[in-house]
Amino acid sequence: MIQTILDALSYGGLYGLAALGIGLVFGVMRLVNFAHGELIAIGAYLMIITIDLGLPLSIIIAVAGTAALALLMELSVFKRLRLAGPSVLLIASFGVSIFLQRSYEIIFGALPISGQIAPWMSGVIEFGDTTITRGSILTIILALALLAGMRFLVENTTLGLQIRAASSDFQTARLLGVRSNYVIGTAFVFSGVLAAAVAFVLVTQRGSVDPLFGVNITILALVGTVIGGLGSLQGAALGGFAVGATISLLNSFLGNYRVYSYTWLFILVIIVLLIRPSGLISNKAFKERA
Amino acid sequence: MSNGLLPSRQLIGVTRFHWQQLLGPIVVVIAVSYLTSGVSASFSYLTEGALALLVMVLSLQVFIGNSGVLSFGQAAFAMVGGFASGLLTAPVKIKENVLDGLWEPLKAVNMGIWPSLVIAVLVGALFAFVTGLLLMRLSGLAAGIATFALLMVADNVFFNWKLIGPGPQVMPQVPKFAFVDESIVLTVIVIIVVYFFGISRRGRLLRATREDALAARALGASVWHLRVLFFTVSGGIAALSGAMYAHHAGAVTARDFYLGFTFTTLAMLIIGGASSLWGAVVGTILVTAIGQVLLVLEGGVTFGSVEVTLPNGARGLVIAAALVVILIWRPKGVTGGKEFNLPFLNRKSAAAHDSHVQRTDANMNIKP
Repeated sequence: MIQTILDALSYGGLYGLAALGIGLVFGVMRLVNFAHGELIAIGAYLMIITIDLGLPLSIIIAVAGTAALALLMELSVFKRLRLAGPSVLLIASFGVSIFLQRSYEIIFGALPISGQIAPWMSGVIEFGDTTITRGSILTIILALALLAGMRFLVENTTLGLQIRAASSDFQTARLLGVRSNYVIGTAFVFSGVLAAAVAFVLVTQRGSVDPLFGVNITILALVGTVIGGLGSLQGAALGGFAVGATISLLNSFLGNYRVYSYTWLFILVIIVLLIRPSGLISNKAFKERA
Repeated sequence: MSNGLLPSRQLIGVTRFHWQQLLGPIVVVIAVSYLTSGVSASFSYLTEGALALLVMVLSLQVFIGNSGVLSFGQAAFAMVGGFASGLLTAPVKIKENVLDGLWEPLKAVNMGIWPSLVIAVLVGALFAFVTGLLLMRLSGLAAGIATFALLMVADNVFFNWKLIGPGPQVMPQVPKFAFVDESIVLTVIVIIVVYFFGISRRGRLLRATREDALAARALGASVWHLRVLFFTVSGGIAALSGAMYAHHAGAVTARDFYLGFTFTTLAMLIIGGASSLWGAVVGTILVTAIGQVLLVLEGGVTFGSVEVTLPNGARGLVIAAALVVILIWRPKGVTGGKEFNLPFLNRKSAAAHDSHVQRTDANMNIKP
């Protein structure tokens, strides 16, 4: 029972981190970034390839590489689509996502590459007769720390103020002197850093990486971002958390029917969208005219 | 304000019947199909597959192109159509031996390809109608994500529920089309249906809602009714595409209609130009041709003394890159979203039509 709750919390935290990365970029440029999964995948590839250099150095390389790829995405593709609507941006990011998946297939091969990253994460701690995995506790701690860090950054710094201003009303923020390209570029870099954190947790759990490594978590986190509330960072993180926790709970409680957990989850998603099309925590500026 | 997929502010889409806009794509499809299928048996097989994809792209065009609402859900209806047609035509013996969990009445039934196609279309349209009643309340990103959720539900159910299909296995021994002609006839019928829905009164009203939902409402258009109607038509056509695919490949699985299929058909539509039927045809032909050339190169080709071999994955890479490049530099696709038009034919009426469009554009450009 305790393990079930902890699993739900750690899944929720992990998906919340992924959703926050997507939500950061969405807030400043209305892009639902399908290619976030490929940022997670490159983080995992870099970690597994450089693990022989030692864990700290490997993590630094992965974070830097992921952030650099995120920035490259923005400069090469999304910067040129500033005038496009959200649907066009979504399709473009779908294209970037497939492009990167095929690039990984060409560079690293289609088969999974395995590697042991931080094997102590899979150990267990015993409390009397309940055992819990270290990984789930560390995931919760990491998620809380990063969420707190992002919160501090967004609430208490000038840069954060600019990101919030750009999220709530991009045009007005620009008119008031917020440098839009700088803010958007920064949002991409932070979303890359968050993707690297997600990659770290996932790769310790799975022990291998393949070109489709980030697809599943991104699909769920994207949905979490949208139902959480378009354009609100707390909404994105909460939506991701809700989706992650729900899928974990469905997996525990459906028993033999757990193969259908996606069906129930996505039916719930459709219901939430029908009741609140602009998300649970909605931001006025993002309501679309129907 | 554009509420959807297509960059607004220019009037696009057909309003009146021009015979060459309908005959042009039909002639091109028939000519290209017979030319390529005449090359060899494997080219004939390829052509049949490409025609099934073209029907899917037309299904996307009739909904997305006219409504401007992004939908990922059509692949779900293709899945429904492929499974329906496959299950209805596969031999009873095979179903009894391979698909043990299948619902008994489905096991016992067996019919020819043509009646099964009709049923597949009806079932697909029914599914689209029922889901559309709910989903078409949404627009913009919420609609995109909700239709995506529909695809995920359909994939999850078909991949696991053995009562209505093969589950994670392959549905084998689906009878194949004897000739490429069947696929050509079906595709031409779909082109005609899509064209006439596009120029119909309701089609024009739906495009009006795409350009300005408030103004269209003021004209008495119900956005919801129109979208449900076109979603249903699109669902029926998508189901036909799935069924054509099943009778082309001789087998069908749930994963045939998942993210890869969705991406390929969407890329074809956008590359060709989402707002016209001609765009759907051009996009499908272009992407299929590029894909085929790259597939041959992936296998290795010798030019004189130089051997060229592309790595596996190059195909997806190039098509994805083409999609992104098109979205950046030519967001209306290579056709510019225009219908088929030969300038030297019908010069007078086409010119008159163009000047009318330009004048309206100038008026609309005053207010950015």
